[in-house]
Amino acid sequence: MTSETENPPRQGKVFPSGLAALNGITDGASVLVAGFGGCGIPVKLLRGLAEIGVGNLTLICQGAWPQESGKFGIADLVAGGQVKKIISPLPFLPDNGGPVKELWEAGKLELEIVPQGILAERLRAGGAGIGGVFLPTGVGTRFAEGKEVRQFDGQDHIFEAALKADFALLRAQAADTLGNMVYQGSGRNWNPIMAMAAAVTIAEVDQVRERGGLDPELIITQAIFIDRLVLAS
Amino acid sequence: MPGKPLDPTAMARRAAQELTPGAVVALGPGIPCRLPGELPPNGGVWFLAESGVVGFQGLGVDLNVVDGSGEPVALLPGGSFTGVVNIAGILRGGHTNLAILQPAQVSASGDFVHWTTNATGATGTTNATGTTSATDGLFAPGSAVDMAFGASRVVAVMPHQGPAGQPNIVSQCSLPVDGVGCVDIIITDAAVIRVGPTGLELVEIAPGWTADEIIAITDAPLTLATNVKDMTFEVPELIPPNKVYATAIEALKDVPEGAVVNVDGFAGPGGMAHYLMVGLRDVGVKGLQLISNTAGIARMSAFGAPNIIDHSILVENNQVAKATASYPVSPSASRPSAFEEAYNRGETELEVVPQGTLAERLRSGGAGVAAFYTPTGVGTLLAEGKETRTIDGKEYVLEMGMRADFCIIRGHKADTLGNVVYKGTSRNFNPVMATTARITVVEVDEIVEPGQLGPEEIVTPGLFVDRIVLRPPDFSAYL
Repeated sequence: MTSETENPPRQGKVFPSGLAALNGITDGASVLVAGFGGCGIPVKLLRGLAEIGVGNLTLICQGAWPQESGKFGIADLVAGGQVKKIISPLPFLPDNGGPVKELWEAGKLELEIVPQGILAERLRAGGAGIGGVFLPTGVGTRFAEGKEVRQFDGQDHIFEAALKADFALLRAQAADTLGNMVYQGSGRNWNPIMAMAAAVTIAEVDQVRERGGLDPELIITQAIFIDRLVLAS
Repeated sequence: MPGKPLDPTAMARRAAQELTPGAVVALGPGIPCRLPGELPPNGGVWFLAESGVVGFQGLGVDLNVVDGSGEPVALLPGGSFTGVVNIAGILRGGHTNLAILQPAQVSASGDFVHWTTNATGATGTTNATGTTSATDGLFAPGSAVDMAFGASRVVAVMPHQGPAGQPNIVSQCSLPVDGVGCVDIIITDAAVIRVGPTGLELVEIAPGWTADEIIAITDAPLTLATNVKDMTFEVPELIPPNKVYATAIEALKDVPEGAVVNVDGFAGPGGMAHYLMVGLRDVGVKGLQLISNTAGIARMSAFGAPNIIDHSILVENNQVAKATASYPVSPSASRPSAFEEAYNRGETELEVVPQGTLAERLRSGGAGVAAFYTPTGVGTLLAEGKETRTIDGKEYVLEMGMRADFCIIRGHKADTLGNVVYKGTSRNFNPVMATTARITVVEVDEIVEPGQLGPEEIVTPGLFVDRIVLRPPDFSAYL
């Protein structure tokens, strides 16, 4: 769900603000949000979503548990009523449900629980043009309910469909102006795979370097996957 | 009066006794995350964190390096970073020896209900009203399901009873399960229990407890092993296995007749494991089924000097029974490759696979994906006899994951733990092929100590590599 009604000021792929970089996002959009625990979360872009006030979002992410006090996170978007659905392996922590659990219990939020490896593989399939995959994970459990089961080499496998989204919000350590990116530590997490699986990919980065400023052997995400860049605060 | 429950550190130390040198070990949240801190930081096992860390020790300080509980951990020399999708592949693709989880419940048949806990090791959580909110765990499979279904062996480390005294080891789980028949052994704060084909067997007892006391707090039927032992808490000394071999022949002498062998390389001589190829020739094993981008055209393609080593040396030595390749013929019809000539004489079989499908089939094999639907080749000869399926209005063809017995790859540098970096386009098929074989052998220009390759730089984590040989600077002796 995108609209291309505005052309905000920018230099190449580099946008001046989170708001400008989120241009075109509309109600009902599906959005991939990278991050694991406190690592690799695009906080500025999440704040931008709150500021725009876009609603009915479907978020696909590791989880939406409350961040440390003072840090903005997905849970704040949920608390603000902007989120219709979350697809995640761990939408809230069992000992810290926060707004996600509250709104889900009140019937105001849908949750689709997907084991992490299945979600990663569905996104990879979406990004790599694969229609779907047969995986051994979750056979005989609630995660296989209603899905096609087929045997390969005598073992049951479950059909999992590819997954793509309208937008991806990423967080990287550095990008060059073309959009090639490197990450730091566990900050890599979902970023490279989500970069491939969205129609519009927006990355929030600590540094923007000139072309050639990143070692070609170290680049993890190629520029062809990145549409927009914005500097983290 | 029963004994005092063990503390989580003691449980973690007992769990460490399940480790073997070089093992790949996935850790779920909670008590399992204590294991790395109890072991010497020598890279004796590969700990995996679902956040994308391979190879770490105890608690660290860098907030950018976290374990599955989100706690900072310290990367070991030779540790590296990879994304969640690669971790998923390591878990699912048969690369993980052991998963250590902290379930809320385990049943008599090894089913389990998982949920995350805080690092203090308390199972169950207490909300403001003082009741346990176990059902919250149904929303927190995280990677536990991937670990349980992917690892060769699953160890449950958990308190024997819940906070309200309810049994955690039960005849049947009272909540929807996260895995069916997955758990092999249960280590609790009172005992060690084996999950056998006929039910649970008490094999070890913690200090101060009796078998009767343990049976009394276990809901599932429990039989006594013939030789019940006392639990001990000594951690094993885990020395990393030696992976460096003196010669290519030494590294390949156990390749069996008829083996499926991945041979890396693109088209030219770059990124091709020449030393391992001559080693395979000199071992002389027959009936090989090669999986490779070409079937050996570097010699025919005017790439570089004469006497180029490629697959042809194996073909000419009558060792090749089949090739699976995307580009099996010489670009010049008047100068056929050795493989083409052998094929035309009826001596070899050939399976032609488009390059992207070949790469994807290998990636699937390595990542535990049995089969996938690709749009490539629909309606062509390449799709003949294969299932097709329309998904969201687009037609796809079903292709199978592919694995090999051996893989020979060409890296630029490796450390002694087997971590590999490549150079330029010689990366080509190497990283994906390295994930697909039972035994992966790498040839490199330089072998370095762990820690000398940057953790962000490592492309193939050492857990995929079994054997390392140093490439000779000159091949005149092998022609």
